[in-house]
Amino acid sequence: MRKAEIGATTALALHSLCAAGLATGYWLSHSLYSSSLITDPAPTLRILTVCEAPVVILLFSWLRRDHDRCSFIKAVARGLIGLPIGALINAFGTIVLGAPVGLKFWPATIYWSMLMSLFTFVPAACVFGASKLDWQQILSYSKPSNIVDYMLSVPAHGAIIGAWLGAWPMPLDWERPWQEWPICVTYGAIAGHLIGMLFSPVLIFLHRRHIRTKTE
Amino acid sequence: MRMRMRLKAAAAAVLCLHCLGVYLFTRGFLLTRTELSAFSLPSDLLQAQAPCCSELPSTTNQDQDLPGWTPPTVERVLILIVDALRFDFVAPSSLFQKKQKWMDRLPSLQHLASTHPSSSRIFKAIADPPTTSLQRLKALTTGGLPTFIDVGNSFAAPAIQEDNWIHQLVHTGRRVVMMGDDTWTQLFPHHFNHSYPYPSFNVKDLHTVDNGVAQHLVPWLHRQDWDVLIGHFLGVDHAGHIFGVDSQPMVQKLEQINAILQNVTDIMNSQKHLENTMLIVMGDHAQTLNGDHGGGTSEEVETCLFAWIPRSLPSSISSIFHPSTCGLGLNGKNICTSTMQQLDFAVSISALLGIPFPFGSIGRVNPELYALSPGSWDRQWLPASFYEDPSSDLKMWKNNYAHVLCINSWQVKRYIDSYSATSVMGFPSDDLHYITKLYNEAQSRWSDSKNRSCKPENGTIDEFSDFLLSFATLARSAWTEFDMKLMVVGLGIFIISIIFHLFVFERVQSLSNVYDNKTQKSSNHLQIYVAFLLVAVRAVSFLSNSYILAEGRVANFLLATTAIGSIRSSLVYGKIKKHDLVFLILIILIRFGIEKGMPKQAATNPFLNYDSGSDFDLKWLPSLFEGHDFVILLPEISPMIILFLLSFLSCKYITSTVHSRCIKWVVTVGTMLSYLFIATFWLSERSFAPKMVYVIGLSLFVLNFVLRYLGILEKGETVQRLRSLALVMVSAWSPTILILLGKQGPFVVLVCIIAGWSIISSKNKGLLDDCKMDPISVMQWSLLAICLFYQTGHWCTFDGLRYGAAFIGFDEFKVVRQAILLFVDTFGISHILPIFSLPFLVTIPNSSSSKGRDKTVIFLNLTQVYLLYGLITAITTTFTVLCVAIQRRHLMVWGLFAPKYVFDAIGLLLTDVLICVSALYYC
Repeated sequence: MRKAEIGATTALALHSLCAAGLATGYWLSHSLYSSSLITDPAPTLRILTVCEAPVVILLFSWLRRDHDRCSFIKAVARGLIGLPIGALINAFGTIVLGAPVGLKFWPATIYWSMLMSLFTFVPAACVFGASKLDWQQILSYSKPSNIVDYMLSVPAHGAIIGAWLGAWPMPLDWERPWQEWPICVTYGAIAGHLIGMLFSPVLIFLHRRHIRTKTE
Repeated sequence: MRMRMRLKAAAAAVLCLHCLGVYLFTRGFLLTRTELSAFSLPSDLLQAQAPCCSELPSTTNQDQDLPGWTPPTVERVLILIVDALRFDFVAPSSLFQKKQKWMDRLPSLQHLASTHPSSSRIFKAIADPPTTSLQRLKALTTGGLPTFIDVGNSFAAPAIQEDNWIHQLVHTGRRVVMMGDDTWTQLFPHHFNHSYPYPSFNVKDLHTVDNGVAQHLVPWLHRQDWDVLIGHFLGVDHAGHIFGVDSQPMVQKLEQINAILQNVTDIMNSQKHLENTMLIVMGDHAQTLNGDHGGGTSEEVETCLFAWIPRSLPSSISSIFHPSTCGLGLNGKNICTSTMQQLDFAVSISALLGIPFPFGSIGRVNPELYALSPGSWDRQWLPASFYEDPSSDLKMWKNNYAHVLCINSWQVKRYIDSYSATSVMGFPSDDLHYITKLYNEAQSRWSDSKNRSCKPENGTIDEFSDFLLSFATLARSAWTEFDMKLMVVGLGIFIISIIFHLFVFERVQSLSNVYDNKTQKSSNHLQIYVAFLLVAVRAVSFLSNSYILAEGRVANFLLATTAIGSIRSSLVYGKIKKHDLVFLILIILIRFGIEKGMPKQAATNPFLNYDSGSDFDLKWLPSLFEGHDFVILLPEISPMIILFLLSFLSCKYITSTVHSRCIKWVVTVGTMLSYLFIATFWLSERSFAPKMVYVIGLSLFVLNFVLRYLGILEKGETVQRLRSLALVMVSAWSPTILILLGKQGPFVVLVCIIAGWSIISSKNKGLLDDCKMDPISVMQWSLLAICLFYQTGHWCTFDGLRYGAAFIGFDEFKVVRQAILLFVDTFGISHILPIFSLPFLVTIPNSSSSKGRDKTVIFLNLTQVYLLYGLITAITTTFTVLCVAIQRRHLMVWGLFAPKYVFDAIGLLLTDVLICVSALYYC
């Protein structure tokens, strides 16, 4: 089984690749199209999504759970299918929480939920596929035995909590451009995701040491 | 049994504590003033032993015709009010540190002030907070200090009930013409001979009102059939609100005003009949550089008053003018300014026009303004012995002024006496003694000087002024200053009540843990922490005015968060149930309802910048179906269909839940009849139908209590019994609330029922016992109640009350009856229904595990639910109180924080009362 080989350093390396994907997207939008998240959110979010998607799908397909029965290509396909499904779930969730539904917000909402899907749903879709038990397990932390679980769940929860916190400045009367939907929510989500990615290797490291002391 | 007593006792204790806290804090914070309904009459001076004008009736033969207390000193008054006129708009820029681009834009006034120094004057007029237009107009006309809550007998209509000089003018047969801001016609609906009101509603419209005034002003100046003309320009205020003071539109606006004023002064100079007309150009309040006003900062209160009379006046007027600040005007000549209190305006104008001073006016006739009138230099009060030296203008003027001041003081003293006698909260008695002493001293000196038939000395003027100014100071401290001590004590009592509440809750919690298996303890603790975290987030959000404005959306956001959290736990423990998804969809619906109310709120609240186009543009939706009949019929028919559905639902649940046969029939028939009447009312607008609904609702409510105490509802198993009690109670209330909510009612009640059902069925799956209290559910219940408040088109200001609801079923107005209806409409869906239906949280679930449960445990859980609900409300309200205390000097304190405090305080007390009633009824 290859998953056992992954250590804290590997996890950190993989996460930095994801972060690099985001950074590339940001840099591309900034230098090539000279657009930033604040001035035109929708195109920037699109570029971020396009840059992040291959990195996330390829990386997590490599980490897929059932190596023997599921080929790399199949995992990639799962990720690609998972992207719109996750986006739909994220979009629904955000509308429940109060995101604007006007027509002019649709592009931004769509790309934002794609990005959120890449942060939350797609990695798990690549790794688990449709295995219900794994999904339940990752949501409940009932058995945090697996290292990949940490890599999936900590950054995903980070992104969601970050986005939730990022929504709070929106009603304030500061009249800053970044208070518009979905700019500050995106900032929150990215920040939360990055913090989660930093945090998950730490947890993995602690977890391994815990196991080691136990076995000894 | 001990448990049951405990809830009652705790609820009563908390209610008492909250009452005390609200009372103390309100006394410190919400300055109240009682409006007296008395009016001054021309004959008052003769009837009362008014000590001032003993000569007046004996010497003037035409005393029967004398309309006022003093002879008029000007013929006409032309008042041009420029809303939000800052002092530095008018005063020469050399008075200020730096010349800004909005200064010196009214050169026509500066020119008059510099070329006619003895017949014109620029005053810095100090207004009193709250500096909102309505309160200022009230102050300008009544001469009082309107507070946030003026206790009077007006309910919805803003018409001024107190005595004011407009009323006095009309009463004495003068002709008043008004043009401009339509607030005037709201305040004085039947007073003007001619009025040209223009809507003040649209802040973005800079020109309609001003152009309207300009259009009607000039023709009227050529006419002679008026005595007082009021023109109210709004453009400067609106330009400030939208663009700020430092902006090009503001400069253009000021230039437009200047052109109008130039035209007016030219006409006044040329027309013979306007020779004795006083022109007053004034602001009702000022504004900050951002265009805000409402608070008490110097930028907001320092407005301007300019007075000018075409006739020339004696040059000795310059010795009456106070040594003042002067600066060079545009033409290089000196312009001097004085300072006056806006409070003095009403009585000064009454003295100028020779009408009785308004009963509630507490100002002093301003000497400088009075001196600007030609009549004040004429011989007014005989005997002639007073004026042995007719050449001395100044002495004559002083004599006149002393007379006026004496009447002024007498009138203020009369007001003090009658206010102390009638109002709920009078003035401190020490201060009253001091004021009375001042008055008596001044009067005795005055009568001394009279008896010795010598001239009134300067000293009398000073003594009367002293009395009037001291009383104005006292009145300001009573009506415009907060009492910090009382506020802090009130807040302290709120905090004590929370600690007590927590203590009781903890006791009950530990008691209930005794009955439980130990295993669930930790899980339940986590739930409580999460619930309190949510409460804390909501409570802390009140510290910012933005979150208070967006309270409905914040509550909805938190509700959605709990719903998503509950879905997550559903996933963990199994699969998603349908009620979870239904709940999410309901939250979206509620959210649309809340957002639909936002533009309405924004229209009346200048602080809420809500762009309706950006957030909720479903305007394309109707265009899709344009031309189809059902689009027109849908809003008419859908409430009926939902109403039918509701009646079916309630019928079904009542028959299946209530066991006692006779109750079942009474309640079912009552509910059915109510729904029938509601449908009749909507179809035919007959007013008997709502009355019947109210009667049925009330009698069912009373019947419930009677039956409860007769023990008829006692049958059956505990859970069963509690459930039927709650159901009967809710069905007694819901038709009344439904009809008051109007056509949105059925939909809202349906949403409420389905949301309640979702909350109950999605109770924490981690708890084995379905009937155990789940803190998250209680929290969701409370958030749902807040969302429903906003969804039904309410918000926390007084214009957010749905006044129309008070008149459903009644045409004529009676304070108590209409207030009760309005109260039920405002708090029905957000307080009464949710609190009475709380027992469902512990009784509804699957009957499998609830069977054979101990009676004590159920009541323990019920007690917990009620205590927790009360605690949630108490904590959020305490934070509102804290926030109001912190923000008491905030710009929006009267526009936003104070109404929020009033609504929350009433909501809290109502919650406590309802919990007490529930404790009596259910336990």
